[in-house]
Amino acid sequence: MALSPFASRSPSVTVASPSSALRLKAAATHHAPGQAVTAKSDPNPERELTEQLNDDVRRKYVKGKKLGEGTYAIVYLGHFRDDPSSCVAIKKIKVNAEYKDGLTMDAIREVKYLQELSHRNVIALHDVFSSKDQNLNLVLEFLPGGDLEMLIKDGDIHYGVGDVKAWMGMLARGVWFCHENFVLHRDIKPNNLLIAADGEVKLADFGLARSFADPYLNMTHQVITRWYRPPELLFGAKQYSGAVDVWSMGMVFAELLLRVPLLAGMSDLDQISKICEAFGTPTEENWPGVTQLANYVTDKAVPLRGREFFLQQFPTAGPVGADLLMSMCVLDPRKRATALQVLQHKWWATEPRPTKNEDLPRKSGTKKMGDDLARRGGETDDGPFKNAARQLDFGGMK
Amino acid sequence: MASKNGIDRRDEDEVCPVCKSSRYLNPNMRFLINPECYHKMCESCVDRIFSSGPASCPVAGCRKTLRKNRFRQQTFEDIGVEREVDIRRRVMHILNRREEEFDSKRAYDDFLEQREEIIANLVCRIDVAKTEAQLQAYAQENMQSIKANQALEEQEATSFQKKILLEQEETRMRQQIAREEYESERREQQATREDFLTRLASGSAADAAAIAREGHKVHLKKSSARRSEEDRIRQKQAALRGTEVKRTGTPLTTADTAGSTPGAGFIKGLRKIKTPEPEKPYDPFMGLVPGKRDYYTQLESYPYAFLDKLRSDLTVQAGGYDLQEYYSRTLLEAFAGLGCFVQEEVAKRDAISALGISKPASTEGAAMAAVGKNAA
Repeated sequence: MALSPFASRSPSVTVASPSSALRLKAAATHHAPGQAVTAKSDPNPERELTEQLNDDVRRKYVKGKKLGEGTYAIVYLGHFRDDPSSCVAIKKIKVNAEYKDGLTMDAIREVKYLQELSHRNVIALHDVFSSKDQNLNLVLEFLPGGDLEMLIKDGDIHYGVGDVKAWMGMLARGVWFCHENFVLHRDIKPNNLLIAADGEVKLADFGLARSFADPYLNMTHQVITRWYRPPELLFGAKQYSGAVDVWSMGMVFAELLLRVPLLAGMSDLDQISKICEAFGTPTEENWPGVTQLANYVTDKAVPLRGREFFLQQFPTAGPVGADLLMSMCVLDPRKRATALQVLQHKWWATEPRPTKNEDLPRKSGTKKMGDDLARRGGETDDGPFKNAARQLDFGGMK
Repeated sequence: MASKNGIDRRDEDEVCPVCKSSRYLNPNMRFLINPECYHKMCESCVDRIFSSGPASCPVAGCRKTLRKNRFRQQTFEDIGVEREVDIRRRVMHILNRREEEFDSKRAYDDFLEQREEIIANLVCRIDVAKTEAQLQAYAQENMQSIKANQALEEQEATSFQKKILLEQEETRMRQQIAREEYESERREQQATREDFLTRLASGSAADAAAIAREGHKVHLKKSSARRSEEDRIRQKQAALRGTEVKRTGTPLTTADTAGSTPGAGFIKGLRKIKTPEPEKPYDPFMGLVPGKRDYYTQLESYPYAFLDKLRSDLTVQAGGYDLQEYYSRTLLEAFAGLGCFVQEEVAKRDAISALGISKPASTEGAAMAAVGKNAA
């Protein structure tokens, strides 16, 4: 798979296969002059054609049971009509009251970027179609293995450095591929890292993704779940780069090693002070220009942490692993490692070797995938009524 | 087995063929043989002739060179048997393939037959030179697997020994427990009976029936408790045995190179040994090549007035905005068409359609997009 500039897959909604389009057109012209009855109900043949194409795609899949529901989407298990053994996840985007005239940004982003990315470590988007009431349905790869957050939180699961290395390798490859194709994910966290049946970790939830911004174009800094948000975004930077994803990767790495989130801030300000405590306070010396950022604040001056801190904090990673983590957690985004540099690090070549996919610890459970996809990007459910929506099943009411 | 008497009588008039001294004169005389020629001689002769180094056999007509350290007492009365056993031991030591190393039972049986033939040849002195040469060649080529199998055999022998010891110990323990149990039960029975009798003696006639019933019940309870205890012990032992079996299960032999060496020609039907593929070093990119876009090169910086303000803007710089990312995207967008080779894609498509495989729509779409781009 070369890094082709073009989408190597073309979900049917965007680029219909020319042959089927021609066939349909031929069929339409064949019928139209013959019978005046059909002609009157067909004032716009072009629109009719797209609807036919959409129906073609829709008929390819059978929607099965509901896997989960959130404020933003409902996820169903489905399969290809002609192959009941295949599994897909069909994510039905709910019609949102906020966006009366169109689709939600999340849905547009997800379709826009997922259809361009085809990689082992990025969730695959098979098709997109609209069902009745103009609902948008994304046909995604079905990933039954849960997510990394489940594995981290499950005390019954034990894993070692080899496993962490395998997971981090897959994550880094996914992120690198996105960056190589000029896409920022902007919501990397353990519960967006879904696990396929074969143990492969896949980057999911592109609801906050965007392509690299053009110069002078502002981007929002209100992205990435707080615990995984890099300091430049907390300081309100409007122009940033792939380094934001690398910081999140570093946080995931640390969380995999510690099995608790490294920096679990209660608020954005708390998050900044936690970062300062952990890695040192950003100053003009270690991060030129940081004081110019919109929301720059400091409370106390903590000197920058050296290599010893990482070695001591993360002994399981070994000295080389600690080096890698340190390079991912540099405060100044310009000095932070890029996804490419992460993959070129010598940690991957040191012992222990990354665990093979089939030997990775895993957990079964199909419910989780739905829960996860249905969650709005960048939002953690740590509110007072968490899980409440999921426990109530409104599916039987209609 | 020969009677002790017979041996004694034979021994009494045994004469050393070298020095002609008999057991009658020297009751402590011991006879030794050398597996080189199996000629028997007494210990004093061996000391006398071979102490100063290797010498030829003193028996007339035998000119084999013998060494003192090889002399030993014979195990079997018949020197022919002694020799055969020696040969057998030596050959078995070398041809020590195991059944699990063969493709089929038939192949293993053939091997056993072949081994017997070799032994017979050596014993009966048929084609000795040729057979010996074969054996030596085989031993050299399969040094490793021979050693591995020997180690395995030793291991099996020791584990077998251990198992037997363990079993004996277990039996002993069981017997002891049973004995103790019996003792304690007998004592208890006696005590209850005595208690029973005293109560009967002291109590009134009306209580007698109740006391008798009670005593019976106690006895029943005890025996059922004992039975459940026995069951528990038995289960425990069964479980223990189960794990023991698992642990002593023979590890599968990973024999050496014999599969492809000429040694395989000597012994047929050996299972092909699959040498595990050496693991490739971990590729963090999993096959993708970074920096594959080699149809253009990206410079460090491009002189462009539009971007000058950006380069000097500290806020933008501090936010980590990377002009390199912008450059690479712009360059790719400008030159991406150069990375598409329509001719190749068309050829590939034709090849696929020639095979009669319906081409996926995406290939066609991509090809068309490429055409469009190139035309523009």
